[in-house]
Amino acid sequence: MDRLGEMTGFREEQIKEACSIAMTAHKSPEKPYLLEKSRTSSDVFFSFPGSWSVSNWFTRQPFGEIKIDRSELMSPKGNDNVATSLRSIGRDELATVNEGFLRRLEMILSNSSLQSEVEKANTERKQIVFTGHSSGGAIAILATVWFLEQYKSRMSPLCVTFGSPLVADFIFNHALRRENWSQYFLHFVMRYDIVPRILLAPLSSMEPELQQILYLLNQKAMFPIQGYIAEASKFFETVMRNASAVASHAACKLMGNTNPILETVASFIELSPYRPSGTFVFYTGNGKLVVIRNADAILQLLFYSSQLCSENELEAIAEKSLNNHFDYQSALQESLNMQNVVNLDHLEGLPLSSNGAAAENVATNMALNDLGLSTRARLCLRAAGEQEKQKLSNQQRMDKKKADIEAGLAMLEDYKMKSALCKVGYYDAFKISKDEDDFKANVKRLELTGIWDEIVEMLNRYELPEGFESRKDWVELATKYRRIVEPLDIANYHRHAKNEDTGPYMYKGRPRRYKYTQRWREHALRMPVGSSGESCFWAEVEELQLYRTTNPGAFEDIRERILNLEKKLQEWIRDKQISNDVFLEGSTFTKWWISLPHQHKSISCIQGLMNS
Amino acid sequence: MSETLATFLASTPLLEEAWRLCSIANTTFPGGYLVEQIGSVAYVAFSGKQMDSGSEQRCRNLVPLDAEDGGPFAPLNRHSQAEEPIKVHNGMLNLFLSMYPGLQIQIAALMGKVKSVVITGHSIGGSTASLSALWILCQLQSTSSPISTVLCITFGSPLLGNEALHRSILRQRWGGNFCHVVSKHDIMPRLLFAEMVNHNSKIQALLHFWQWCMASPHVIVTSLSSQLPDDIKDTVFHCVLKDLELLAQAEDPSESLFWPFGSYVFCCQEGAICVENTVSVIQMMYLTLATGSPSSSINDHLKYGDYVAKVSKQFLKARNFHEEGLPDSSYEAGVALALQSSELTDKEPVQDLGFSMQNSNPRKEVPIMAKYCLQMAQNGDKPNLTAANLAIKLSKIVPFRAEIEWYKACCDEADDQMGYYDSFKLKGGSRRETRVNLNRHKLAGFWNSVILMLENNKLPHDFDRRGKWVNASQFYKLLVEPLDIADYYRTGMHRERGHYMEHGRERRYEIFDKWWRDRSVPEKENKRSKFASLTQDSCFWARVEEAWEWLDNVRSESDVTKRRLLWDLLHKIGMFEKYARELIENKEVSKDVVAKNSSFSRWMEEWKELKSRVQQLPPWFPGFVDGEVVP
Repeated sequence: MDRLGEMTGFREEQIKEACSIAMTAHKSPEKPYLLEKSRTSSDVFFSFPGSWSVSNWFTRQPFGEIKIDRSELMSPKGNDNVATSLRSIGRDELATVNEGFLRRLEMILSNSSLQSEVEKANTERKQIVFTGHSSGGAIAILATVWFLEQYKSRMSPLCVTFGSPLVADFIFNHALRRENWSQYFLHFVMRYDIVPRILLAPLSSMEPELQQILYLLNQKAMFPIQGYIAEASKFFETVMRNASAVASHAACKLMGNTNPILETVASFIELSPYRPSGTFVFYTGNGKLVVIRNADAILQLLFYSSQLCSENELEAIAEKSLNNHFDYQSALQESLNMQNVVNLDHLEGLPLSSNGAAAENVATNMALNDLGLSTRARLCLRAAGEQEKQKLSNQQRMDKKKADIEAGLAMLEDYKMKSALCKVGYYDAFKISKDEDDFKANVKRLELTGIWDEIVEMLNRYELPEGFESRKDWVELATKYRRIVEPLDIANYHRHAKNEDTGPYMYKGRPRRYKYTQRWREHALRMPVGSSGESCFWAEVEELQLYRTTNPGAFEDIRERILNLEKKLQEWIRDKQISNDVFLEGSTFTKWWISLPHQHKSISCIQGLMNS
Repeated sequence: MSETLATFLASTPLLEEAWRLCSIANTTFPGGYLVEQIGSVAYVAFSGKQMDSGSEQRCRNLVPLDAEDGGPFAPLNRHSQAEEPIKVHNGMLNLFLSMYPGLQIQIAALMGKVKSVVITGHSIGGSTASLSALWILCQLQSTSSPISTVLCITFGSPLLGNEALHRSILRQRWGGNFCHVVSKHDIMPRLLFAEMVNHNSKIQALLHFWQWCMASPHVIVTSLSSQLPDDIKDTVFHCVLKDLELLAQAEDPSESLFWPFGSYVFCCQEGAICVENTVSVIQMMYLTLATGSPSSSINDHLKYGDYVAKVSKQFLKARNFHEEGLPDSSYEAGVALALQSSELTDKEPVQDLGFSMQNSNPRKEVPIMAKYCLQMAQNGDKPNLTAANLAIKLSKIVPFRAEIEWYKACCDEADDQMGYYDSFKLKGGSRRETRVNLNRHKLAGFWNSVILMLENNKLPHDFDRRGKWVNASQFYKLLVEPLDIADYYRTGMHRERGHYMEHGRERRYEIFDKWWRDRSVPEKENKRSKFASLTQDSCFWARVEEAWEWLDNVRSESDVTKRRLLWDLLHKIGMFEKYARELIENKEVSKDVVAKNSSFSRWMEEWKELKSRVQQLPPWFPGFVDGEVVP
């Protein structure tokens, strides 16, 4: 059997130290954070205390959530126009986080020495570990992504939390996995601890009880007391009901339920946007540990592992759901001694019934039994595993199409060369489309469109592995595709005068396959937003030309735009991102440029290029 | 997964709230309904206790839903000229119509106050709820309203309408707005499957009994049912069970007069499952009833409170599979759990019916049938996967479309200057046109299959709002429909069936019209500087064909005494001319329309000539000003 350390990539000593300092932080709530240097290693621990007022958890109805772009913390430092990593790239959907926790981190950063201490530890090449218990864990998670986003460090920070509430939505998890940051996060959850589940319920469903419960938890953080059974039971039931709704809604989707009533009913209720991210370690309550990485499965586990075995357990479990929140240190000690750790990586093959498991699954099955997972729970975990497998097989299917794309691009390259021989360039040849070759190029364009639209559709539904959009081979292929084929789309757009129908290409007509792939490149190279627009060159030319035709005299209005385009064209030509065929005699660009005022042309930066 | 869905429904507060209000409506608002607002959701609960429902109930009398003026349900009747009309139960429709005026005021008062509405009702109140929800859905479709969703939850509601109603709800994609909760043995939702003409008095007694019980909710149900004579219970139970069995064992339920629609939540002590597939619904209706008894089938109609409370608490407890031999495939295991949640495992005693099928052992039959039925209910296809595969298919047929585009470009440039439409219409048999025609059929087949999948809920629910598909279908329509029209008139179909727009237009085009209209992009007015590449009115050529006929009729009508007829024709011609001129002026047509030898250009010329002749007619004849007819 593997040890916890080997399974998670964290050292056991490290985890123990993190746990101890995370619990200590509660004892000095007046300090924004605690710093402790390991005596045995180069580790530096930053630990955050929890906060216990409802307003720190929920800044607003229904879930206290906020889009990440409202905070400057989560963008790369020093380069204003580079977008945050905490989003999906193509679809450009920003992650949502808990606003209360985010504001608290902002406050700590601006009112304390945290930033300078972190920078110091980083320059001294120490291993930074952010840690926290309860909502302190949530702050630790956000501090870790803040560090990852802002500092280029040879050594990645680590994050260990104990009984932390959820902090962010599935896009956050998506981004962490894409950036390969997921592995730096380790979250411990006791089987019945209510705190990691609280944010699955909307504030409105538990407003009066929540303050009471948080007050109780705060008391417990300081000294042991007995709980209030009635409040605890009601609270437990409310949280579980909402957790059940979130989990079963997610499970229906995982299982591919097509019944339209699912969405109708979902629109009538508040479903929590929060989802787990990173690696989770569940304590079964008898010394065993279950390690799991699949975020969909973790969500299911959060719900199912807290279910009761029988109705009359309610009060006992409800009380446990509060007490469990303070059992982390002792439980950790116990399980590190036992080293009975099960890794749930192959979810699709989990045993379904609690007794009859095949030999290689016995340990897994016992651990699942210890977490109280029913057959229904296991089916949901399997569905999560199936979905992950499906994403991989989608990726494989697309990988197989790379050859088709390459072949199509080669054919269009050929078309481009042939057209250049006729002194018009392929943009204009395609725009006129009078030869069989043009028709063939169009069919090829449409075939490629089919493949890329399929990728876009899958990205929109998050049906490809998270890392897909940052794969080097795909980013490069997409850039090549965009540079060759997008001019044809622009030509087609103007050939059919769709700009009059729908509006300018850039605002109304640009297909997502180009927007997405442009963002891929900009993200991969950490370029400012919108700076890799070489494939839209022709769209700007068409717009400027249209302006010149409709307002013949007015040059000054568009002078800036023209200068800008010329400057960029010069760079694109220099970097071979656009080829010389734009300067051919019959090209729309050449004709338009020649029509510009002499005075402008004589000092233009591309004058040399035009004349050569 | 039919079970997971039911778990989701039961974890929301909706079922409990709806039932709470239904039971208040039953006791406190007999013959009416109650409205309550909870947060941003309004609940409208119809009482199951209706004064005159008894007399209406006994007949299985179906009446058409559409009134002369369209009525409250006008949008539902749009496609149904050639098909069986939508019909609903006479008594229930009357009940709804009697409440309709008041309801209109109530619902109008809710506008602006709430985001969404839950319409609910127990027993006969459930069918009023369904009709009300249907009316609101029709309403929302034609007007922009702050209310975004309607959910109808019924408890033990009788069946409402025929297959056409079922189909039309599917087509409108409203299946997801109806949730019918049916308790294990309740006979009410199954009653109208049976032919009961001979037992009217018994049914009436039963309905009276139920009505009486609803008004006194604090009496224990089981002690009540002893007050109903046994022969009533037995007759009704066996009669329904017999007819339901025949229906369940038929391959195709189209025999049935009444059809279920929307989703059914079957609940029992062990749990609940949610099913939408019609065959599965009917089979579940049969299979669960078969495990009941005459008195449980009567009592269960009054026990929704217990069932709802039970399933709503289920999330708290881990529910294991307690049988032996759980299959290892996720799919099979899911079916086994659903069986357990509908109490259809083989331990349940099954009614041994004298008339049961030849198979000697019905005890064994039920679980096997149930398993089969649930497998059907949760067919393994994933909608997003289907959509992705469809995207691949689309990209495969795109070259066919491109070829038609290329063909159009060639026709429009050709020396004969006939344009796309007329070239295809005239040269139908030649080689090139045969190829184009083949492509046309391939594309039609593809798009028909898309619509079929969509209407059977095989595709993601927002499929018809996805830009890719809306744009692709619109482009297809504009490009290919003119060819369909050309083909229709070339082969003389208009003489057989009547004109294209009324009688020949394929349903897919109407659906694509709707997708295009419903897309969220605001219409932007922009002047075109050159002719559109495709005529924006895809039926333009059908209009031209009709205009030709009018023109011919005017010319052949020598009898000037038929002034009225002539005047009508000339009026129509004038209107068309005006319409066409506008399109051309705005360059909304493609250049094939104005090609020198196109049938439209020829029509214009002949019309001009006729007009000049007509204007020399006696003064009592209609005159013209700028192409418009003035009387």
